[in-house]
Amino acid sequence: MLELQIAGRSFGQPVLGEVLATIERGDHICLLGPSGIGKTTLLNAIAGLDKTIPAEAIIGREKLRVGYLFQEHRLLPWRTLNANLRLAGASSEEAEAHLVSVGLEGYGHYLPDQLSLGMARRAALARCLAVKPDLLLLDEPFASLDPVMADGLKTLIAGILDANPGMAMICVTHDGGDAEILANRLWYLDGKPARLQWDDKVGEPGLIGGLLGKLRRLDLAGS
Amino acid sequence: MSNLSGRPPVWSYWVVLPLFVLIWALAAWLLESPLLPTPLSVLDTLVAEAVSGELWRHLGATLSRVIVAFVLAMLLGTAIGIAMGRSKTTNALFDPMLVLLLNLPALVTIILMYVWFGLVEVAAVMAVVINKVPNVAVTVREGARSLDHRLEDMATVYDFTRWQRFREVWVPQLFPYLMAATRGGLALIWKIVLVVELLGRSNGIGFQLHMAFQVFDVAAILAYSLAFIAVVQLIELAILQPLERRSSRWRQPEAAHA
Repeated sequence: MLELQIAGRSFGQPVLGEVLATIERGDHICLLGPSGIGKTTLLNAIAGLDKTIPAEAIIGREKLRVGYLFQEHRLLPWRTLNANLRLAGASSEEAEAHLVSVGLEGYGHYLPDQLSLGMARRAALARCLAVKPDLLLLDEPFASLDPVMADGLKTLIAGILDANPGMAMICVTHDGGDAEILANRLWYLDGKPARLQWDDKVGEPGLIGGLLGKLRRLDLAGS
Repeated sequence: MSNLSGRPPVWSYWVVLPLFVLIWALAAWLLESPLLPTPLSVLDTLVAEAVSGELWRHLGATLSRVIVAFVLAMLLGTAIGIAMGRSKTTNALFDPMLVLLLNLPALVTIILMYVWFGLVEVAAVMAVVINKVPNVAVTVREGARSLDHRLEDMATVYDFTRWQRFREVWVPQLFPYLMAATRGGLALIWKIVLVVELLGRSNGIGFQLHMAFQVFDVAAILAYSLAFIAVVQLIELAILQPLERRSSRWRQPEAAHA
């Protein structure tokens, strides 16, 4: 569905090295790695936000609808939730339906700044759904949420993925536990410049924890 | 001390200005000179001009010049400001020109326009526009530079059309800058329009001031000035303030829902 042939990306000094990967429909990828290694940079590249990376490096994106959940909600603060979802291409009724599906029934006329962090993030997730995405990009979706809210959002995302078997997902996180619940495939980004050190299917439960431990030890030994 | 927050008491708006009028009246009464008419005689002149229809004719002429020049200056200045704020190259190309125009005296522009194009309406309005555009451009450029790149990325991901990006993402962020340009613009433009009229038009408040100046008719000078100050204040109260209230409503969401 999507093929990455990114040659690299530098901000003064090289951040991202060569990244080669293929993403298929139904892939639920968790992108793990130390903080500051370039996970968001890679996600922005895939989303086409990085103008320094040629469009040919991300083969197949033109045909895909992409929903991107940024770290901040990035809803327009001067527009209601309903209007924000309509700007992403939903009709007013569809917008309400998407809000219901993320547990925000009746909040269509609220402004984003009237919501709590967790609610705003779910509203932003509803906007992702409003484009009927083939590919869902999630950047640290559980960061700064309390454990109950984070679990709720995890269940919600898992439900969305189950309901749309053709949808692919790439979720940036630094918590292997998220991957246990959401992922069927694992990326581990590390190194200077950063490369995908690991790209494989997720096997039986419990594997990820051990694997992450090994990868991190490897990293420590190498540096 | 009790008014550190909230509104000042209503009476506080009605102290200094009435006191000023009172002092003016006293001075005029003591001096008894035609060069300083009393407030009442200025009011008399104003009423007489209004009844004869002269006031409305000249007020209308000036107001229409102000409106045309203002709209043109805002449109042009906003476009230039956005272009310069968004692109460093465009900014580098046009910045020296902008500095030149900012420091060009209004009087020079007016004289040059009249010399080159003759004493015609187009030259008059153009002179005002050329004077105002750099101010608007500088203000809007500041706004365009501070546009939130995170919302830009969002608009890119969600395939906003050019119009949506302008209307939904840029205008709300530029709004405070546009308001500042509007306020400063109105005050500046009508003053320049008066000079334009004084130098080369045969109607408008500037022309009337010119006539009054030649016979030292201070009452008429004050009457016409006050009439236009009143008009500008009316624009502020009837158009600008309601617009500002409506557009910044989202900044104070009534109930936080955290």
